Amino acid sequence: MDLQDIEDLIARVALKDRDAFSKLYDATSAKLFGVALRVLNNKAAAEDAMQDSYVKIWKNAHRYQSNGLSPMTWLITITRNTSIDRLRARRKGHQDIDMPGFELAARGPSPEQSAIAASEAKRLMGCLDELEGDRGAALRGAYLEGKSYAELAETFAVPLNTMRTWLRRGLISLRACMSR
Amino acid sequence: MSDAPDMPEDDVLAAELVLSLLEGEEREAALRKYGRDPAFAALVADWQERLVAMTDDIAAVRPSRRSRKKLMKRLFGSSFVPLSERLWVWKGLSLAAIALAAYMGIQQLGPAPQDADARVPVYATQLTGDATELRVLAVLNPATSQIAINRVAGEAAADRVFELWAILPDEAPVSLGVLPNNPAVRIALPPDLVTQAAQITLAISDEPPGGSPTGAPTGAVLAASPVSEL
Repeated sequence: MDLQDIEDLIARVALKDRDAFSKLYDATSAKLFGVALRVLNNKAAAEDAMQDSYVKIWKNAHRYQSNGLSPMTWLITITRNTSIDRLRARRKGHQDIDMPGFELAARGPSPEQSAIAASEAKRLMGCLDELEGDRGAALRGAYLEGKSYAELAETFAVPLNTMRTWLRRGLISLRACMSR
Repeated sequence: MSDAPDMPEDDVLAAELVLSLLEGEEREAALRKYGRDPAFAALVADWQERLVAMTDDIAAVRPSRRSRKKLMKRLFGSSFVPLSERLWVWKGLSLAAIALAAYMGIQQLGPAPQDADARVPVYATQLTGDATELRVLAVLNPATSQIAINRVAGEAAADRVFELWAILPDEAPVSLGVLPNNPAVRIALPPDLVTQAAQITLAISDEPPGGSPTGAPTGAVLAASPVSEL
């Protein structure tokens, strides 16, 4: 199943086609479960997060706008954010996981071509490794482990404001590297 | 800190939002900005696209069969009823709406032919917008190869139009055309759709003037619903 097939399935899910949803699940659930497992590091929690993600996908497929890049970005972003919300709820010891799913919102009435090229996104890993000091590791910690500025500051034993400045400079270098 | 000239404050903020680095009021403010500033929303989407590559080398892990069953049950109830059986549609469709649709549709389509065609079933549905006011009653009469459309509520956005689609199971949506401003219209149904009328799901999408340029829905799908036999 290629990316165009997945995009077509999402379009049919938007029309409440259960058969298409079933096929979309079969085609993408292993990747999404892998992502949820990586973030949550716990099988039961990852299964719950994956299920919550598919409920969001079913309910919001009509908001998906093709932007000429991979439809997997949309699916993975939903799963990553749902998993991070669950992880944070667990850390804080409460169950309030009803964070607004901003990643689900439509971008506007017409699909916008993304400003970034697919080849640019592929450079991420190399560029993360090129970043000064531990900045690449800190960005990975934020994206894959849901660490906030405060938690990263603690992990890397630097003051909060230093971490903030540090990461913001890291993001600027990252973008410059990726668009090179 | 000072920003590099090619990396404005908004771009950093978009990245921070995507990375979930913001908390409390800062996060709320960024989310509000996301909701009302399309340029900022586009920056967010670009960072999602860039950063998702961090998941590229995460191995796929097949979830359990039980997990799949649980999800389907959660979404579709105890038994997964295929679209073709269409029983579930009745849950979302009031009898009053069906009766109204039937009345308006039959009025509009004129008296049923008196011959054997009179026994051909008529199909109807109500299309209700998820996020908009849109409410459209549709009655599909295979005997006359026509769909009667009554837009009861909802207006297309400025410089946008409503486009009507018919979808058969496992097939791509077929455009039935742009809905005119007139709330009550009759639309001809292509012959291959007439023969499969019972299987049709109707949908309305938001499109640029003149309709979708690609032949497939390009804008948001505002409402979709399978037809039911009257």
